[in-house]
Amino acid sequence: MPTIAIVILVLFSAVLAGVIVVRPTITVSRAGKILAFGVLFFLPLFSLVAGMENEMERSKSTGFCLSCHIMDSYGKSLHIDDPSYLAGAHFQNHRVPADEACYTCHTNYAMFGTFKAKLGGLRHLYVFYLKKMPLPEEIKLHEPFNNRECLHCHLGARSFEQGATHNADPATLPAIKANTLSCISSGCHDVVHNVGRWGDKVKFWDGGS
Amino acid sequence: MRPGNSMGRRLRISGIFVIIGLLVEALCLVWSRPIAFVVLVCIGGALIGLGVLVFLYSLLSAPLHSTNSSEVAEDKH
Repeated sequence: MPTIAIVILVLFSAVLAGVIVVRPTITVSRAGKILAFGVLFFLPLFSLVAGMENEMERSKSTGFCLSCHIMDSYGKSLHIDDPSYLAGAHFQNHRVPADEACYTCHTNYAMFGTFKAKLGGLRHLYVFYLKKMPLPEEIKLHEPFNNRECLHCHLGARSFEQGATHNADPATLPAIKANTLSCISSGCHDVVHNVGRWGDKVKFWDGGS
Repeated sequence: MRPGNSMGRRLRISGIFVIIGLLVEALCLVWSRPIAFVVLVCIGGALIGLGVLVFLYSLLSAPLHSTNSSEVAEDKH
C-alpha cells in the first residue's frame, strides 16, 4: 500500500476517533457500537500494521541506509568507476536491485535473516544517537560476511561454477560453498567498499542514481 | 449512556490515546529518517495499543443491559 494511502487512512481513522471522543453517546445505538469497534479497535490496529509494514519496506531502500551521514562514503563507493570495487560493480550493473542495494547484500538469507538485520539496525540507531559514532572507515560488520549472501545469487551461475579462478584448485569451489574460504578474502574479491582507502585517483560514475 | 458516565469517559480516553497514536504514526510515515520506525513502534504503537486496551476494558466493564431503552431515552434528552 502506498505511503500516501496509509497516511490518508490514518488521518481518516483519527477523525472518526475524534467523533467518538466528542460524542460518545453515539455508541448507544447498534450502528454506533459497530462504529466504535471499527474506529477504536479495527482501524487503529490495521493502520498500525500497515504503517509498520510500510516502514519495514522503506528500511530496505538504499536511500534509507544512506540517510545517515555516516553512510555517505559507503553510498559514494557504489559509484566508484572501477569494476574491481565489488559493491560499485554490483550496483552499477544492476546485479543487485539499485534501490535495495545495501539490503540485498547485507541481509542474512537464512531463517530470521530479516529479523536479525532489523535488530542490527536498532543497534545502529543506538550507537548513532547515544554513543560516540565511529569514523566511516572504522565501521565493521557485526560478524564475518557469510558466503551464503553471495551464493544466494551466484550459486549455479556459469560464471561462478565454471570460473577459471574458482576451478584452478579443485578444493576452492567446495571451500567457497562451505563458507570456509570467504569470497572477500585477501586475493579474491577483497575490494568491496574500501572506505578510507580510495586514494586520489579514484573516479566516480555519475549515472544510476 | 450519558457522556459523563464511566463508559463514556473510558471511550473518550481510548479515543484520545488512539488519536494521538495515529497522529504520531502519520508523522512517522512522512518523516523519512531511521528513527521514525522506532518512534512509530515505541510511541505510536504503544499509544494505539493503550487506546485499544482501554476500549476493550470499557466493553468488559460496561454494565449488562446498558443500552436499555430508558438509558437511550435519557440520552436523547
